[in-house]
Amino acid sequence: MSQQTLVDLSQWQWAITAGFHIVFPSLTVGTSIFLVVCYAAFMRTGTEVYLRLFRLWRRIFAIGFGLGVVSGIVLTFEFGLNWGGFAHDVGPILGVIIGMEVVTGFFLEAGFLGLLIYGDGRISQRVMLFSACMVSLGTVASVTWILAANSWMQTPAGYTLVHGQFLPRDWVQVILNPSFGWRVAHMLVGVLVSAAFFVSGISAWYLVKGRHLDVGRRGLSIGIGAAAILVPVQMYLGDTVAVDAIAPYQAPKLEATEGNWTSTNTGWNLLLWPDQSAARNDWTVTVPWLGSAIAKDWSGRTPTPGLLQTPAPLRPMILPTFYGFRLMFFAAMAMLATAMAGVILRLRRRLDVTRWFHRCVLVLTPAGPLAIIAGWVLAETGRQPWLVYGRLPTADAVSPLDTWQVLTSLALLILVYALLLGTYIWYVARVVRQGPEDRPVPEPVRAPVAPVPRALGAGRRI
Amino acid sequence: MNAADVWMLFIGLSFAAYIVLDGYDLGIGVLTLLQRDDRRRREMYELVARAWDGSESWIVLLAVALWGGLPLAYGIALPSLYVPLILMLVSLIWRGFSIEIIAQYRGWQRRWGLAFGIGSLVAAFCQGAAFGGLIAGVTVHGSTFAGGPFSFLHHGYAVLTGLGAIVLYLFAASAWVYDRTEGELQRWAARGGRVLTLLLAAATVACWALLQPAGTTRLDPGSAARLAVWVPGAVVLAGGLAHAYRSFGRHPDAGPVRGALAVYAGGLILVLGLMYPSVVPPSITVHAAASPTGSLTFLLIGVGLSMPAILAYNAYAYWAFRGKLTTTDEEVAGTSVDPAGRRVAAR
Ligand code: HDD
Ligand code: HEM
Ligand code: HEM
Repeated sequence: MSQQTLVDLSQWQWAITAGFHIVFPSLTVGTSIFLVVCYAAFMRTGTEVYLRLFRLWRRIFAIGFGLGVVSGIVLTFEFGLNWGGFAHDVGPILGVIIGMEVVTGFFLEAGFLGLLIYGDGRISQRVMLFSACMVSLGTVASVTWILAANSWMQTPAGYTLVHGQFLPRDWVQVILNPSFGWRVAHMLVGVLVSAAFFVSGISAWYLVKGRHLDVGRRGLSIGIGAAAILVPVQMYLGDTVAVDAIAPYQAPKLEATEGNWTSTNTGWNLLLWPDQSAARNDWTVTVPWLGSAIAKDWSGRTPTPGLLQTPAPLRPMILPTFYGFRLMFFAAMAMLATAMAGVILRLRRRLDVTRWFHRCVLVLTPAGPLAIIAGWVLAETGRQPWLVYGRLPTADAVSPLDTWQVLTSLALLILVYALLLGTYIWYVARVVRQGPEDRPVPEPVRAPVAPVPRALGAGRRI
Repeated sequence: MNAADVWMLFIGLSFAAYIVLDGYDLGIGVLTLLQRDDRRRREMYELVARAWDGSESWIVLLAVALWGGLPLAYGIALPSLYVPLILMLVSLIWRGFSIEIIAQYRGWQRRWGLAFGIGSLVAAFCQGAAFGGLIAGVTVHGSTFAGGPFSFLHHGYAVLTGLGAIVLYLFAASAWVYDRTEGELQRWAARGGRVLTLLLAAATVACWALLQPAGTTRLDPGSAARLAVWVPGAVVLAGGLAHAYRSFGRHPDAGPVRGALAVYAGGLILVLGLMYPSVVPPSITVHAAASPTGSLTFLLIGVGLSMPAILAYNAYAYWAFRGKLTTTDEEVAGTSVDPAGRRVAAR
């Protein structure tokens, strides 16, 4: 089997493991902030429903976080396992950035996670709130550092190349590389949007079923409120990423995103099927005029640049890039419409009683993670054939492994991940169906006490 | 001593922190396979559940410390250990998920408990095998790995070190369980602990004696300096084993843990003395593999600034969960105690 097969398999392995990993941060970062909000609200107002929300969401959070951790470990090792050349060439830069992520982000999360999840009855309310804050802070730090790493691969800066190895010249330029600022903002708001719809969707389920109405109403109200603010911001940030962070540096990515070959189309492609080797589309569904309008020419005469401008070996694949963007875009539209409808219903005081709205929100529960995976597929496949844009070709970075080694590990990982994802969804459904705890809220202690025997107070029989 | 040597020391310490902290977690996982009684198994799951995630942060630190500080070594060693490392990763995922499920959801303890135990066993074995494959020598051509998928085995040497890791982790787990529990479980840990101490002594001798015949690494003391490291290392290790053997079954309960820590310390000194200055034996040295000083300095500053905070809050978390673990019979019968200590009937 050829070198190309090895590269393809290694790429699939990376794409699947990274796509699996990203699902969990995209839910846990925002959920951890939601936990902080609930607990702080409970401490301020003493209202019991906030503590019940906190307990319920903490159980959902715990397992997602665990999966985020273990799947992240796999990625860290894969840099060396599958991309040994890459590890060697970019280690002095990316290894260091991810090292900073570990010491500032991961340890912070992991250090306080145990207290957040199992600390009831052992730590005071203040320490509990503090732990929740530290866990969220750690997740936000992780997102920031990893985006610095990935943005450096998209728009490398501040380095010198010595014998094929990237050495840092100016750390400020490395970290604050040209695309970092807008991309990290887009990612952070993206994870918050995801969590907002995750919380709203599950809360809406309670309203649809007519159970635990207090918890459902409160969750829906917080979630939709956050979404109404964040989704428009996210769309603005996305547009800015395209215009300021991608267009000046990675023209082929945008050409592929718009799905044109020739530079003549003034419309906007809604759907298409490309034939990459023949350099044309088999068919397209196009909205006339819109392409020109997006380029801010309202007369409808400005065509969108096509991929033929880029030499064939440097062209990214249209299929994943194009549909990655379309999926993200349509998800954004659906979320926008729902959030706005929510605002109108809220103003008319009908948010809690409008059945069709609850159903819509329920359907959008997984929209956030889907949009995020789609956005990453766009960002990463659009970067091909480069690993470090314009400098390090992907094919040169792969480890000298036997093809069957990668094939076996890929099959094994897919199997295990499918099982875990299935069990995870089953578990969340189980916890949700079981609902928040109805028993009286125990009085939390105010100061550290002598050890209470149970570590797993949270674990209940279902 | 330059920045690269300091970094090698730091990698050694991350390695130590990982095997000490996750070692007892993994070992307890294997111990649960040997324990028939559901209640005692539950106690052991609880010891792991609240700590595993913090322990595993250290393996991530170990990996990126190697990557950022010694990128050449990372790019060579990992592909050469592909088979054991991928299996290790899959088992770590598996057991991490299982323990969370056990902790959060009681209904399926039996099934997920078995998954957790087996995952821990395979992970421990693979870690030992990967370690053996590394120290016995890696075939390198230029700056890439040039061996085959199974050349890490070294005529079965890696299997020996894999089994050795299981014994080591079981030993550490018994010491920890002995310290943290009471009653029947504690007595059980003491009985097993003594046997494991002897097994570990035998495994250590075997791994040391067979290293040179099996691999390409030379056990040549070379200089007086090397012997000056080996002899104290061996003394500390042997002292730790002896101390642990004597303290299992006696007061104070922390005795075996102290012995285990000495075993780890002595072992680490031996290994560093064996490998230095190479990081991927036999040919890649720490100085050849190191990142430029600019990267190392940045890393050292970052790590130096955050380490005190990391150690402080990890210590706080351990302190918050200090003391003995006890269980009540009702719980095993299906009742749980809510966080305030009140009992709640199961549904
Ligand atoms: C809830 C999630 C979410 C939503 C609603 C949107 N995005 Fe997005 N987008 C992401 C989540 C995301 C992301 C997962 O966070 C990405 C992947 C890589 C990155 O940095 O952010 C991303 C990447 C990404 C990129 C590529 C960046 C690159 O190549 O580095 C562009 C051009 C856009 N987005 C544009 C948009 C536009 C115009 C949107 C609205 C109409 C939009 N995004 C909505
Ligand atoms: C977690 C969200 C991410 C997802 C879903 C994702 C997805 C992908 C996909 C689909 C590819 C394959 C591109 C192709 O084959 O055409 C890829 C490549 C790659 N990405 Fe990412 N990526 C993510 C984040 C990152 C980050 C944060 C980094 C680096 C710090 C990174 C590093 C790489 C590398 C090294 C490759 C090259 C290997 C390959 O081409 O498969 N990725 N990624
Ligand atoms: C855009 C891409 C990524 C984002 C936003 C992201 C974010 C996060 C976050 C927030 C966590 C905390 C755990 C959780 O909440 O589930 C996490 C965990 C982790 N991530 Fe990622 N990650 C990304 C990609 C990667 C990549 C490419 C790697 C490989 C280096 C990686 C390695 C890890 C590791 C090792 C952990 C476990 C941390 C721990 O021990 O607590 N992540 N990630």
